[in-house]
Amino acid sequence: MRFDGEWYPCDDGVVRPVVRGEVLAFDGEWVPAFFLVDTGADRTVLSGAVFALIGLSPISTQTLGGVGGLAEAVVIDTQIRLTRETGGKVLFHGQFSALPALEALDISVLGRDVTGLFAAIVDHAGDLVCLLGPPHRYDIRHE
Amino acid sequence: MKNGFPVLVLEEVQDPEALRRARAQRARFDRNAAWLRRHASEVYVRHRGKCICVAGEDLFVGDTPAEARALARSEHPEDDGMFVQYIPCENVPRVYAV
Repeated sequence: MRFDGEWYPCDDGVVRPVVRGEVLAFDGEWVPAFFLVDTGADRTVLSGAVFALIGLSPISTQTLGGVGGLAEAVVIDTQIRLTRETGGKVLFHGQFSALPALEALDISVLGRDVTGLFAAIVDHAGDLVCLLGPPHRYDIRHE
Repeated sequence: MKNGFPVLVLEEVQDPEALRRARAQRARFDRNAAWLRRHASEVYVRHRGKCICVAGEDLFVGDTPAEARALARSEHPEDDGMFVQYIPCENVPRVYAV
């Protein structure tokens, strides 16, 4: 299983590793979203913009810690849909965090609750972003 | 919880009609994302502090995500590949890990 991402130019001119996906909204609609592949993030966190559009009610709150200190997040039950290398679709169903304030997070973050299920490759020099799971694998060569 | 992480359930979509719809939506999303990639420098500079929505390979700007999407839907009601982003006011180095 392989999910391909890309190095995408962000608003500050920096290219960052992202995977495109969709988030399930309250009405069954799928809301397209970019996810930053953040190997340092413990949790997948939806941006304020995505949270506003999916319209789901929080089931609880959660405190998240980061460089800026602590932030109050909400927890929602939803699904994230990613696209396989075959064009197939995989649903990740569970509880995810969201930061409702727009300024708090400008892009949704794919954290280790998702990336930890795969081998996450974030290789700028090689222009590669992907999540690998069986039967796909990678090897490191010295040539 | 498993290893400190919430348990996620993975499911591969099998329904052919759901797959067809999802692939079509993704194709529209890809076209809109490619449009933003081509116009990134001008869009990001002009709309700091705003919400942008790209739909029908066109740009819509609002103060809130809902406003930007509503503007886009009024022009491109068929485009379910539209996406919304908030452009931060400040252009500073970022550390995202949360």
